[in-house]
Amino acid sequence: MPRRLLHVDRLIVLGALCSVLAWWAPLRAQATTDVAVVVHPDVPVDNLTLGDLRRLVLGDREFWPGSVRITLLVRAPVAHERNVMLMNVCQMTEAQFRQHWIGKVFRADTAVAPKIVYSAEMAIEAVNRIAGAITLIDASQVSRNLKVVKIDGRLPGERGYVLR
Amino acid sequence: MPSNFGDRSALFAAGAAAVCLASPLSAAQHEPVSSLTSGNVAQVNQATPAVPENEYPSLHLSGFGDVNFLAQKRPEGSRGFSEGQFVLHLASALSPRTNFFGELSFTPRADAGTGTPAATGFNAEVERAIIRFDQSDHLKVSFGRYHTPINWWNTAFHHGQWLQTTISRPEMVQFGGRFIPVHFVGALAEGGFPAGGWNLNYQAGVGNGRGNVISRGGDAGDNNARPAWALNVFSKPDRAFGLQVGGSLYLDRISLAGRPEFSERIVAAHAVWQREDPEVIAEIANVRHEQVGGGPVASNLAYYIQTAYRPPSVGRLWKPYYRFEHIDIERTDAIFATVPNLDGSTIGVRYDISMYAAIKSEVRVRRRVSDQPRANGWFLQISFTF
Repeated sequence: MPRRLLHVDRLIVLGALCSVLAWWAPLRAQATTDVAVVVHPDVPVDNLTLGDLRRLVLGDREFWPGSVRITLLVRAPVAHERNVMLMNVCQMTEAQFRQHWIGKVFRADTAVAPKIVYSAEMAIEAVNRIAGAITLIDASQVSRNLKVVKIDGRLPGERGYVLR
Repeated sequence: MPSNFGDRSALFAAGAAAVCLASPLSAAQHEPVSSLTSGNVAQVNQATPAVPENEYPSLHLSGFGDVNFLAQKRPEGSRGFSEGQFVLHLASALSPRTNFFGELSFTPRADAGTGTPAATGFNAEVERAIIRFDQSDHLKVSFGRYHTPINWWNTAFHHGQWLQTTISRPEMVQFGGRFIPVHFVGALAEGGFPAGGWNLNYQAGVGNGRGNVISRGGDAGDNNARPAWALNVFSKPDRAFGLQVGGSLYLDRISLAGRPEFSERIVAAHAVWQREDPEVIAEIANVRHEQVGGGPVASNLAYYIQTAYRPPSVGRLWKPYYRFEHIDIERTDAIFATVPNLDGSTIGVRYDISMYAAIKSEVRVRRRVSDQPRANGWFLQISFTF
């Protein structure tokens, strides 16, 4: 009987441990998941500074070198990529970002607002198809056929990478 | 002991259940929808169509509107409820490098209609109509009717009341005002350069300038042989994201019926901190008029400084603000003979009812002449975009 109790105790501890791990692991993964900046394969850029990316996401820069128009693909609200973009790149709230773009178009600074994508697959398909496109994708979704741009000389997963 | 064992069994069962429940739940929370199952991927792809390529022309229509309540002394303006401007904005990409922008306003006026006395109604106006060719970020050339790019407020908010924090514009750029030429008809070249993170931008224009009525541009042609020139240069440095500083120069020849011609030179500067914690907008402009062929020179000064603050977290929907503005007109200036002086304060609060609508309340205290009493007023506005 004492041996059986010991066995049950172990199972309880194991179960509790698994419960904690089951909750903690995805949260931990999300907290440290980097967001990659992905561009159309023909975009002649391998590295952007955070300032470059900010100007690009806020519409202050509209052309790549070679004068190809930039098409900005932005995830719909509540996506992790959008939150990282708002917090780390734009330093804005959702409301401020929307007001910024309404004002941008209203000032006649640009006639083309960002295109909204509703999933990583949609973003990947569009960024590979539309010339000059750029988007932000969860680094875990990045495959070999995507062109990932360095930010301040760093790729996702590297120490000091800012989009996480 | 058995009871103890029973408790442990319950604990074990709870733990096991937690493992079973927690894993898929947390995965569903944190994994992309597409990675759940291949079947779901197919469903997602069917439900969310691919992002379309850019099509031309691509017309985007938006608008702004506002409804106001005013309580002030009659000489300062109307009272009671009033409709604000109803503004329609059109933006259309005609090709990857060619864009058209249009702005139409419908403004309620007491004298817009016919008859004696004139009936009330709406005045329709083409505020802006611009066609622009984009060579690159460094050079964009456009033609049309603009808001003169020598004043930050005039080009940042245009007729979008919802975009600006306050109800009222600074008087130096008021609609129908005369201090700054609000509209400009002509051509504009603009662009920007990274400049090592300083992000220098320029706008250089030539056009018709002020018309026979100095508050209006020369829509149907220039009324003299001298075009107006406008130059605006500003910087938005990376190291101080949210900051914009710049200066402007505007040169024109003013021709009014039955009066000598005057040369006009406007020198202006602005500094803006666009983040909302806090928001600071400061502008100053000097307008100099000199009679052509020699004569009196008049120098007029106007400035304002506006501050606002959007509190964090729960208070984010509120945004209290204050603005002080000053206009000093030289009494010998024949062009600005009927432009009043001003020392005024505006204090108010904005509350964002939703992402696209706001209610604002403000008190304005104005003094036109130093030894005259102040004129106070209370204003309420609901403004929105659609």
